[in-house]
Amino acid sequence: MAEEELTLSAPEKSQKEIKNLTSATIIRVVKYSGVRLLSLALTVVVGLYLTILIANMGGYVDTIRLAQIREDVNMRMASNPAFRGLAAEERANLATEQIQSRAHALGLDRPFVIRSFNFLKHAITLNLGRAFNMVSNSGANQVRLIILERLPPTLILFATADIILFFIALFAALALSRQYGSFMDKLSVAMTPLSSAPGWFYGIFLILIFASVLKVLPFGGMVDSPPPPTTLGYLFSLLKHMVLPVIAITISSVFFSIFSWRTFFLIYSSEDYVDMAKAKGLMAKDIQNKYILRPTLPTIITSFALLVIASWTGAPIFETIFNWPGLGRALYQAVGLFDTPVIIGETVIFSYLLAVTVFLLDFIYALVDPRVKVGEV
Amino acid sequence: MVENQLLKLEDLLLHFRTTKGVVQAVDKVNFNLHHNEAVVVVGESGCGKTSLAKAILRLLPKNIQSYSGKIWLDEVETMAMNDEEYRKDIRWQKISMVPQAAMNSLNPVLTVGDQVTEPFMLHTGASKTEAIDQARKMFQYVGVPESFLNRYAFELSGGMRQRSAIAMALVTMPKLIILDEPTSALDVLTQANIFNMLKRLKQELEISFILITHDIATSSEIADKVAVMYAGQIVEVNEASGFFIEPLHPYSRKLMDSVPRLHGNKEPDFIIGRPPSLLNPPIGCRFQDRCPKSFNKCDQEPPMLKVKDHLVKCWLYQQAVETTHD
Amino acid sequence: MTKSLKEIFRYPSVVIGVMIIFLLIVVSIYTVITIPYSKAVQLWRGNEADWYQNPKTAAPVWYNWFRRDKLPETVIVTSDDPSVTKTIKDTNSGRIITMMVPVNFRYDSFADDMALYFKSEFEKNAPFIGLRWIYPDGKEIGIGNFSIDRKFTLRLNQDKKITNKLRGRVASQGLFINPDAENPNLPVKGEYFLKIEAITFDKTADVSAELVVYGQLAGWSGTDILRRDLGIALLWGTSIALMFGLLAAVGTTLSQMIIAGVSAWYGGWVDTLLQRITEINLVLPFLPILIMIGTFYSRSIFVILSAVIILSIFGQGIKTFRAVFLQIKEAPYIEAAKAYGASDARIILRYMVPRILPMLIPQFIVLIPSYVFLEASLAILGLGDPTLPTWGKIIQDAEAHGALYQGWYYWVLEPSVLLMITGLAFSMVGYALDRVFNPRLRDQ
Repeated sequence: MAEEELTLSAPEKSQKEIKNLTSATIIRVVKYSGVRLLSLALTVVVGLYLTILIANMGGYVDTIRLAQIREDVNMRMASNPAFRGLAAEERANLATEQIQSRAHALGLDRPFVIRSFNFLKHAITLNLGRAFNMVSNSGANQVRLIILERLPPTLILFATADIILFFIALFAALALSRQYGSFMDKLSVAMTPLSSAPGWFYGIFLILIFASVLKVLPFGGMVDSPPPPTTLGYLFSLLKHMVLPVIAITISSVFFSIFSWRTFFLIYSSEDYVDMAKAKGLMAKDIQNKYILRPTLPTIITSFALLVIASWTGAPIFETIFNWPGLGRALYQAVGLFDTPVIIGETVIFSYLLAVTVFLLDFIYALVDPRVKVGEV
Repeated sequence: MVENQLLKLEDLLLHFRTTKGVVQAVDKVNFNLHHNEAVVVVGESGCGKTSLAKAILRLLPKNIQSYSGKIWLDEVETMAMNDEEYRKDIRWQKISMVPQAAMNSLNPVLTVGDQVTEPFMLHTGASKTEAIDQARKMFQYVGVPESFLNRYAFELSGGMRQRSAIAMALVTMPKLIILDEPTSALDVLTQANIFNMLKRLKQELEISFILITHDIATSSEIADKVAVMYAGQIVEVNEASGFFIEPLHPYSRKLMDSVPRLHGNKEPDFIIGRPPSLLNPPIGCRFQDRCPKSFNKCDQEPPMLKVKDHLVKCWLYQQAVETTHD
Repeated sequence: MTKSLKEIFRYPSVVIGVMIIFLLIVVSIYTVITIPYSKAVQLWRGNEADWYQNPKTAAPVWYNWFRRDKLPETVIVTSDDPSVTKTIKDTNSGRIITMMVPVNFRYDSFADDMALYFKSEFEKNAPFIGLRWIYPDGKEIGIGNFSIDRKFTLRLNQDKKITNKLRGRVASQGLFINPDAENPNLPVKGEYFLKIEAITFDKTADVSAELVVYGQLAGWSGTDILRRDLGIALLWGTSIALMFGLLAAVGTTLSQMIIAGVSAWYGGWVDTLLQRITEINLVLPFLPILIMIGTFYSRSIFVILSAVIILSIFGQGIKTFRAVFLQIKEAPYIEAAKAYGASDARIILRYMVPRILPMLIPQFIVLIPSYVFLEASLAILGLGDPTLPTWGKIIQDAEAHGALYQGWYYWVLEPSVLLMITGLAFSMVGYALDRVFNPRLRDQ
């Protein structure tokens, strides 16, 4: 076969092309992430402000701040020898004066809107005040510490459950999309309505069956009490306690995810480029991974993001049912104790959590979809 | 077996199921193609042209009902091969395809270069660098700048995408390329460019083409042979030169009559009625209802008759020569 | 449209789902009519006056259908019952009223408690009561002598004298056993009698009594720790769940449709604004904010409902609506409508809205159970409307009293099963509708 003679280019040029491509991707992703981060930061600020507004409509944030000031002033006065000699009434007056001047200095007697901005600044910097009743395990009553202590258990539970959920749903959806119309396919479609119930609901039943009746798994909590001394023992106990919650989350979300992702796969597998891949003689595995899975991945990630966000916001009740010592249960306890600072602080933290989740998933989305560029929504 | 024959279709059949019934898209098609020959398959929308391409390429839809017949490709009967053999030996090595100029034919998340190198690496076992070299060569053939190897499909214009698709079809140096409406979505200038490129490729690389189109005018440039498809069947095969001057089958006549001429006063003609549904094709000649020359014999299905070097599926030519089964 | 409707009913899941929904609606309407709201709230307060006849945490009566050894149901006999023979004998100073109250005990295990509620009318001196218990074999024992007031309650199991008389066994057990039998721990079935002899000190005095033998089962749905028949909350819970779910779903979906439509149609800054608001809404933690509102401001179901709708409007659903509207907007028939001079409102209402209905209706129906469960979630967290008897409230009460540990499974299961059925019914119908209205997969 006659071929045009071309100047053969050196192989290094191809290497360079590969490198160019990777660095191009990196630049694109970094630029996009940067912009997203900024835009999310703005969103979080606005969201937090709204939260503060809602919280402060009844003056609750004011109450927290005032209580804090009062405590500060009283502590100062008690520890300052100069004040010891005074009569009780005089001391009380001085205290009130100090409190008022402090409050004024911090702008607590300014109009509502300005106060709110003040609190916003504190919320952003996580200066969340002191709890009324609750304490952290180490005895501190700063809301930030209380919350940060409860953060890891929540993260461990939900992150693990969500990751497990993702992979189960992904593989099941892929497998089912290959057998459209089969019995398993029809079965999984029929099971979709099970997703109408939230995780805590299945939690109740699971606890009933496995803890109450069968007595094989614990009723709740994160580890046995007292906690096992060895790391391995602790780990095992932790895993044992995670079984039921993770199953509950999975049952609630997996069927709907499998159904909708398998539908995505089916739709995307009837695209023309999949036929082209087949015509090119690519192996079935390659076609599935490069021509069906990868183009569908952005859509799946968006769907998964919504799922994760929904699971975060269901944490309060979920953790309460399972007695899991995380953020959610802390919120429930705070409600019971009417511990306003903790309640508001929790809401702020949840806001941050959601923002981080959105950012992470946006980041992954940008990695996966080359069509994403700065400036596009 | 005739010498120099690249492709032979014998009673090729493709039916698929729909909710309304069985669509007989390709109904016992017989056809020959020689090396370095370009045939244009013309016909209206819905006559089964694309299904014919799919049948030749073994790109079967999920709702397949029946697929039968014999396909000889380079003197090897490929229908008998199982799917894995076919994938390894035939796909893209002997025969490749250029799809319709749609955004959808290229994977949106892979670079164009990746998609061009893929079949080359797969079928020749070449390394990535070797494949990129080959891809570069192909891009040069088709006139796409090398930098586009790293681009994604959505970054390319329609013309560039089509050229890339052609480069992709060439990369493994197949003997036969099927092009399905390769330029119908492009502007006339790009169309002309691409057809010129195809002509050059045919000359330089000695490839055979099957060009499926409803655009008779442009395709006439490159065609050696013309095959006319109607209602799932091939009704005429003719040398290009002869066809465009004097088509034999009444349907072909009407088709050529409907092409507007630049000069002269003749108004374009049209064909009354609609093509028959492929769900329940009529018995006898399928063009009977719309044919100005139909007569009583048309109630029976006409065989493929050979008139000099042409093939016509029409009773009108029965006296002319003997029936042929090639 | 009618063709699609016929097609949907080919799915068995839809038929079942629609039947269940229909049943739920019927039950709701029936409940609201037969037990008016005020009465339901009043009953749910759990006042003793309303519920004294029920045992505490009793399982529903149909438990016995599944048991070979029958648990006792609550037996209530009042002196007005025809089975009670009341004889009055006049004396010089007053009357002697004798009541023979039959107690037909046919169960395989003991009752939980027994109580006698007396009501008497007299002028000066309180009547004096003598109680005797008559076993089926005719044996009689005396179980008490005391005087009563206008209202008097005798809790037999708490009466030490009776317990002593029964050799250390409480009344609800001791009165029903044969101490000499081989197994003195099983109740003896038969007809017992409580003989109440009331001596009054004026001629017009009267005494009436009500004997309640508290079984371990009561009512069709069982009772809770406050003796309330769970049926009230289960029935009213149906109405409230449906109302909340429907109103929230309707409010959210309609608002989303309107806002998405306007945003897609006018584009420009309106659209960008919508995008921003949606993103901010994404970052607002839905449940924690509801918790804040419920804790700080009000737990009234209407406040919560409004808050839920407002927080839900800018959720993800609105993006899907917007995408569809954008698609529709580019369609040629819209251009044609603009060409013939249709007003914006007309185009939106007449062309765009009908095209979005196939997408909207399934989404709306599937949304209903999530709000039903949300209402239950809030109740479980203690933020439910404290006066309303809802399913979530039942579960909350149950959890608060450790129902699962104590084995009072029905208390948790009954509202849960109802929640599940409701959720499943709406989901099944919704998903089937989606498959019919929006076939995204090319058909076989």
